[in-house]
Amino acid sequence: MSQSLRPYLSCVRSTLTAALSLSNFASQASERHNVPEIEARTSPELILNPLTVSRNQEERVLIEPSVNSVRVSIRIKQADEIENILVHKFTRFLTQRAEPFFILRRKPIDGYDISFLITNFHTEEMLKHKLVDFIIQFMEDVDKEISEMKLFLNARARFVAESFLTPFD
Amino acid sequence: MLLLDYQNVLIESLLKDRFAPEATPTAIDQIVSDFDNVTFHISTPESKTRILISTSIKCYRELVQYGAEDVLQREYGPYIVAPEQGYDFSVQVDLENLPESQEEKDELVRKISLLKRNAMAAPFEQAFDEYAALHEEASKYTSESAPQGVREGGGVRAIHYRDEEAIYIKASHDRVTVIFSTVFREETDRVYGKVFLQEFVDARRRAIQNAPQVLFRHDPPLELEGQPNLKAGKGDVGYITFVLFPRHLTPARREEVISHIQTFRDYFHYHIKASKAYIHSRMRRRTADFLQVLRRARPEAEEGTKERKTASGRTFKVGG
Amino acid sequence: MAEFNWRTLNIDALDPESSYNFDLATLTPAVQPVSTQDVQTLSGQIKQLMRAGQSEEALKGALENPPYGADEQGKNIHLSTVTEILQSIRQSEMTPILQRIYQSEGGSEVCDTLMKYIYKGMGQGGPAAAHSAGKNVTPQQTGFTQAGGRSFGGAEGGGQAMSVLLSWHEKLVEISGPGSIVRAMSDRRTV
Repeated sequence: MSQSLRPYLSCVRSTLTAALSLSNFASQASERHNVPEIEARTSPELILNPLTVSRNQEERVLIEPSVNSVRVSIRIKQADEIENILVHKFTRFLTQRAEPFFILRRKPIDGYDISFLITNFHTEEMLKHKLVDFIIQFMEDVDKEISEMKLFLNARARFVAESFLTPFD
Repeated sequence: MLLLDYQNVLIESLLKDRFAPEATPTAIDQIVSDFDNVTFHISTPESKTRILISTSIKCYRELVQYGAEDVLQREYGPYIVAPEQGYDFSVQVDLENLPESQEEKDELVRKISLLKRNAMAAPFEQAFDEYAALHEEASKYTSESAPQGVREGGGVRAIHYRDEEAIYIKASHDRVTVIFSTVFREETDRVYGKVFLQEFVDARRRAIQNAPQVLFRHDPPLELEGQPNLKAGKGDVGYITFVLFPRHLTPARREEVISHIQTFRDYFHYHIKASKAYIHSRMRRRTADFLQVLRRARPEAEEGTKERKTASGRTFKVGG
Repeated sequence: MAEFNWRTLNIDALDPESSYNFDLATLTPAVQPVSTQDVQTLSGQIKQLMRAGQSEEALKGALENPPYGADEQGKNIHLSTVTEILQSIRQSEMTPILQRIYQSEGGSEVCDTLMKYIYKGMGQGGPAAAHSAGKNVTPQQTGFTQAGGRSFGGAEGGGQAMSVLLSWHEKLVEISGPGSIVRAMSDRRTV
């Protein structure tokens, strides 16, 4: 793990741990509804101050807490066009399979690549520290996966080009 | 399979079966597709022993202009028949009148399965011949005093072999330039294509010194000045130039070089698709890993009630 | 008005009794309005302390008087003052300074304020810029909405300043615990 990644992830971890203090809260606006307040925004006193954790200009996490839900949005590092397309493809791939992921939001919020929405029902059903573990591992693995895919693409391109040109030699 | 075959495998295997001594003649009516929207029709219209192979090539008229008929005449001479309705070129083989030896039979199969390659080879052959003539001519002059025509080389042969893509071939006294124009249908292909092409460009510098020089750009290269219907500058169009040097143009290597360079476009796109498929499968695997991690957050998955079976087959619950 | 889409109208916003119009001021402790002028004066004094090498006193001074009542501009001035002090302190001195502050009178309050400034510092520049860029980009045919709003190659921009804040954050959590983060989220007095 690189030198600046560790404090970044540990900061996200402690912030998430703090933010995931959720309680059941039925909607005040419509009866017999129970919706994530961070999305519905029915009343301002239920929304807390959003916190940003950033590693640099291109990598950051936005954590928006509310009384019964937390929205976590991640911006993934993209150094060039290839990484941009790989991140785009990967996040699209994931969001299309949002159903089994429970906490994955189908659409990232503006300016970020992927968003998670954790509600009190998730924290009641699942172990909170494991949920935090998941987000942290996700952040770690996505970076790794993107750079591995990029390396693969370059290696394959090189191999393919050389194989095509060798018969001319 | 890394490199693409030059021949059409389906035709090859079909004819091989028919040519086998123990095979009984049967009726055939098949349409076979090849790269670049080329289609073949294999049929037995008159009798079961006479196999008619017809082909339709989008750019056949252009190919004829560049001497395709001569090349095909040379290759298939006695087998050529009048083109079938709706097709550009036809050959017919009579199973009762096959060559004697096995080698000759195999040779015939090989030739017919290379039908597309041979038709497309015509402009290349013409350009290579032109190069030879220009080379001869140029050797009489020093580089400064050469007359205009010799120094600049011949005209550009354009083959519009796909709807939006074309091959351009131009001969000079010291080289033959082959330019492929290619269109990327989507953003991903464009980005992947760029990675691949960069490696094509670099390969010569790094590993294979004698390979043709490869250049890549989005604007039409200077050689194509004055060609109609050139798409310029936009990100999804690319022009890939191969510069074939005299060492590639010797009569001994020419057949192989022509076959090989023809496959470039399909080879290139095939590997882009293959990379996409691989990356897709990687993402699938990684997604499964993520799900695994998330599943660990569910407490019941670890210590929840489990059903067990006794030796007699009854189930009971443990834990919980 | 004929083509106005009534379904998109938020009717709760029009109802004064609705929870949507809940007055947050009733939850916020009363804060004294502070003029930008005052913030600037304070920042001048703190910077003097810093130049004199008394970083700890400067930090304490800055955090004990957060301009909760100032406007956006005043708050930003104070933020840059605080980040400047934080950057001037060496990594090895962070924990001892934080420990001394935490143990002093009203120290936990000061630590909470520091936490707020660390988060605010990390939130600077990034999201706002991306937000406006994202809105101007018209979706292209390729279906890429993100491609346009991004500048490549600037990945390390601001990385240095962020890593300072991240180290402070780490040290601060060790001392004041996650409660401090919760208070940074829930305190209506924003810095």
